[in-house]
Amino acid sequence: MALNKELLPDRNRNLEQLYEEFVTRARALGTEVYRVSDLAKARELVVKLVREMGARKVALAESPLVTALDLAAAVAGAGAEVTGGNPRERAGAADLGISSFEMAIAETGTLVQDATEIDQRLVSMLPPAHLAVVSTRRLVGTLMEAIYSLAARGQIPGYLAFISGPSRTADIERVLTIGVHGPGRVVVIFIDEGGCAGE
Amino acid sequence: MSKAALRQATREALANTSVCSALGKFADNYVIAREQAYRHKDFEGLRREVARIKREAAERMEELAIQFSREATRRGATVFRAATAQDAREYIARLAKSKDIKTIVKSKSMASEEIHLNEYLKEQGLEAVETDLGEWIIQLACQRPSHMVMPAIHMSRNEVAEIFSREIKEPVEPDISSMVKLARRELRKKFLSSWMGISGANIAVAETGTIVMVTNEGNGRLTTTLPPVHVIIVGLEKLVPRFTDIVPILEVLPRSATAQHITTYVTMITGAVPAVDPNGNYHEQKELHIILLDNGRTRMAGDPVFREALQCVRCAACLNVCPIYQLVGGVFGDVYTGGIGTVLTAFFTDPQKAQQVQNLCLGCERCRDYCSGNIDLPGLIGELRRRTVEKEGMSYVQRVIFEKVLVNRRVFHKLLKAASRLQKPFTREGKIRHLPLFLAGLTEGRSLPAIAEIPFRERVDKLPRPGRVVDRVAFFSGCLVDFVYPGIGESVAKVLASLGFEMLCPEGQTCCGYPARQVGLTNSFTELARQNIAAFENINARYVLTACPTCAEALKFLYPQLLADDPVWSKRARWLAEKVTDFSSFVFAHREKLVPFMIPLKQKVTYHDSCHLKRRLRVTGEPRQLLIDAGAELVEMTPAALCCGFGGSYSIKFPELSRSVLDRKLQAVLGSGAEVVALDCPGCQMQISGGLDHERRPIRVMHTAEILASCIAGTVQVQDGKNN
Ligand code: SF4
Ligand code: SF4
Repeated sequence: MALNKELLPDRNRNLEQLYEEFVTRARALGTEVYRVSDLAKARELVVKLVREMGARKVALAESPLVTALDLAAAVAGAGAEVTGGNPRERAGAADLGISSFEMAIAETGTLVQDATEIDQRLVSMLPPAHLAVVSTRRLVGTLMEAIYSLAARGQIPGYLAFISGPSRTADIERVLTIGVHGPGRVVVIFIDEGGCAGE
Repeated sequence: MSKAALRQATREALANTSVCSALGKFADNYVIAREQAYRHKDFEGLRREVARIKREAAERMEELAIQFSREATRRGATVFRAATAQDAREYIARLAKSKDIKTIVKSKSMASEEIHLNEYLKEQGLEAVETDLGEWIIQLACQRPSHMVMPAIHMSRNEVAEIFSREIKEPVEPDISSMVKLARRELRKKFLSSWMGISGANIAVAETGTIVMVTNEGNGRLTTTLPPVHVIIVGLEKLVPRFTDIVPILEVLPRSATAQHITTYVTMITGAVPAVDPNGNYHEQKELHIILLDNGRTRMAGDPVFREALQCVRCAACLNVCPIYQLVGGVFGDVYTGGIGTVLTAFFTDPQKAQQVQNLCLGCERCRDYCSGNIDLPGLIGELRRRTVEKEGMSYVQRVIFEKVLVNRRVFHKLLKAASRLQKPFTREGKIRHLPLFLAGLTEGRSLPAIAEIPFRERVDKLPRPGRVVDRVAFFSGCLVDFVYPGIGESVAKVLASLGFEMLCPEGQTCCGYPARQVGLTNSFTELARQNIAAFENINARYVLTACPTCAEALKFLYPQLLADDPVWSKRARWLAEKVTDFSSFVFAHREKLVPFMIPLKQKVTYHDSCHLKRRLRVTGEPRQLLIDAGAELVEMTPAALCCGFGGSYSIKFPELSRSVLDRKLQAVLGSGAEVVALDCPGCQMQISGGLDHERRPIRVMHTAEILASCIAGTVQVQDGKNN
C-alpha cells in the first residue's frame, strides 16, 4: 500500500457521496445522524432533540461552533439547564453532553475531535448521551485521508479522539451491549452552511 | 511446567466444554465476519505494508526509542526506559507511593500482564482495578485472561453473575445488560476517585511522541483523562517511525481482531494534556509517565530469525483461527497465548513454559494465512523447537529413532517390514484397532491402517505403463504411500499411464524428513534432504511428483531453505524444488487428455483441504475440478478448511487434542451427506478414515488419485487402504 494518490484528500470529491457513505456506516454502528442547512436550523434541531431525549441537565464544551450556535440559549429554550461547577462536575452531572468535532470520516462513520481541552473530553465521556455537531464540509473519505491531513498540520494535537458510535462491549458471552463506560447514545448533526465558524 | 502437567492441563481444558464451545463458536463466526470487514480492502497489501513498517522499526528499535523519548519529553511527558519487568514494576510502585496514591485504575494492557504488575502492586499494598469489563471479571475471579482481545471469553453469564454477586455482596441476576450497567456503576466510582491511571498502548510514534490506543468500551479514555497521573506501559515493539505509519496498522488491527472496521474509540495522546483532579483542581499539564519496556525485546530484535515476531500488532487473529487454541484456550500459552504467545513467552515471560507449550502447535499453518503482521508463526515455532533440542537434547529413544533409524534407509525400511509382520495379531480387516504398549495412544478413538505387507517400493515393477510414452515423471512416494497406502502410488501410476507418462521411482529415496524437522532435529532433516536430492538427480525426468503435500512442502520449500547456506547443496536443492509438483496440480494441467476416458463416478463426494496443500502449495481448486471431471457430485462441508488433527507425531504426543480436532472434522464430513471423502494427503487419509472407521461410519476416504484411477476405463479394484 504505497501512498495511493486516489486515497489522498480530493477537494472535489462529491460531498453528497461522502455523506451517504458516512450515514450508512455510522447508522450501522448505532449512531443517529441528522443534517441541516444552516446554524439556525441546527439550533432548532438541538432544541427538539434535547426535548425528545428528556435531558434535564446538559453539559457544553465551549468551541467556536458551539458559541456560534448559541447552544446555551438553545438548551434553555428546551427547558433544560446547562450544568455548572468545575469540568468534572459539569460533565458528571449531565445527562447529555454537547461538543463540536473537526472532522468526520465517511468510510468508517467516525468523528474526529481535537480533545486536548479537558471539557471536550469529559463532555463526550461521562454523560450517558452525546450530541456532536460538525460541519458537513469537514467530511473526508477515509481514515488515511484523516491521518494524513492531521500529519500535514505539523504539530499533532495533545489529545485526539476518534469516535465511532456509542461505547460497546461484547465481553460477556460475546453478546453486544451498548453503553458500558462511555455514552450509550451518540447523535451527530451535520451543518452545511456556516458550520465552520471560527476557522 | 512439566510434560505431565501440560497434558493434565490440556485434558482439563478439553473437559471444560463451555470453553471449547465458546471459542469454537466464536471462531466459526469470526472467519465470516472478518471476511466482511475486509471487503474492499487489500488485506495482502495491507499486511505487507504493516510488516514493512514494523520490520523497519525492529531494525531501528534503539534509534526510535531515543527519538520517541525526546519527542514525548518535549511535549511534557516523563519517559522511563525499563530494561526488565522488575524495573517497570518498581517504577510504578515508587511513583504511586511518592504521591501517597492507594487506588489505581487500569485500562487493558498486555504489557502490564506480562510484567505481572497487579500482583506486585498488591504486595506493595496498592490496589489496581482493571476497568475493561472482561479484565475486571477476570480480576475479580482471580484468573488470567485467556485471550488477548477477549479476556473473559471462556466464562458464561452465570459465572459472571456469581462473581459479581460476591463482589457487591448482593444477588446479581445473570442478565448481561444489567450486569454491564452494574459494571458501569461500580467502576465509575473508581474512575472518579482515582489519582492514577495505567494504560497500555497499541502504537507509539517516534516522530511525534504519540501514543495510540484502541478501545471499544471507553474505559481507556476515562483512564487517560480522569486521574491527574497517567502511566503508559508500552513495549518497544510498538514503536513505528512516522505518524502516517499508524494508518495500515489501524486498518488491520480492528478488522483482524473483532471484524470491526474501526474500534469505537481511537485515542491519540501526544504529550501531557490538561486534567482536573478528584478535588476539582485544574492542572495545566497532567503528570504523564511513559514506560518504554524492553524485557526481552532488544534481544528479540537482535535475533535474525525471531526479529520477525516483532511485526505482531496483537490482533489475536492467530488465536482465533488456531484449532488447538479453540480447544484448550489459555492453556496454549502463558500471558500471551496461541502461536504468537508461544514465541513471546519464550522471550518475554517464561522460556521453560514456552518449551512445553510449543509442542501444542499442530503445524497446520492456518495462523500464517491470517497474520496481520505477515509473520511465519509455524516457522518460528519450528525454530523454537530446533533450538530447544539443540540446547536440551532429546530423549534417548527419540534420538535413536531419528538419528540412527530414520536416516539409515535400509534399517528404517527393514524395521517397517518387521512391523508389518509383528502387527498381524492386532489386525482386523486391515485395520489396527488396538496397538500394544507405547503406541497405545495412537488408537485412542481412531483405528489405524495396517502397515502394508508389500510396500510400494516392491510393487514398482508391476505398475501400469503407458502404451506410448510422451514423457517421464519421477515419483516421490514418501513413507505413508510406501508403507501404508501403496494403493495410492499404484493409482498415481495408472492415472499417469493413461496420460502417457511413465512413472519412475528412484530407489535411493527415503522419508522426506518432515518428522525430524517437526521434533527439531535439523541434522537428521538435512541428512534426509541430501539423500533424497541425490536420489532424484540420477533420474532423467522432467517432473517430480508426489501424492503427499507434506512431502511436497519439504521438497519444494523446506529443502532450499534448509540448505540455503550450503554453496553446493543449495543449488542442488533448488534444482529439485523446481521440478516438484503435487499430484492434483499436475493432472489438472493435463486433464483434457484424461476426461475422454473417464467413467462418471456419480457419487456424492466432499473434499477435505489438507493444511499443507492449501496453505503452502496453494492448491484448492484443482482437485475439486478433477473430481467434477470424474463425474462426482461435489458437496462442500462446513466449516470448510478445518484441520483433521493428524499432524504426524502430534497424534501420538497429544492424542486427546488430535482426536478432538478430528471430531470437529468428522462432524463437518457427516454434515455434508457425502458418501466419499476425497483428499490429497495420505496423513489426513489415515486420520479421517481412522476416525470414521472407529465410529463405524460407512463413508469411504480416498485419495484423489484413487478416485481418478477408479474412474478410468479398464479399471482395477479400487484400493482404499483396506485391502492392501
Ligand atoms: S500452525 Fe496451526 S496449530 Fe500451530 S499455532 Fe498456527 S494455527 Fe495453531
Ligand atoms: S502474530 Fe499476527 S495474527 Fe497473531 S496477534 Fe500478532 S499480528 Fe495478529
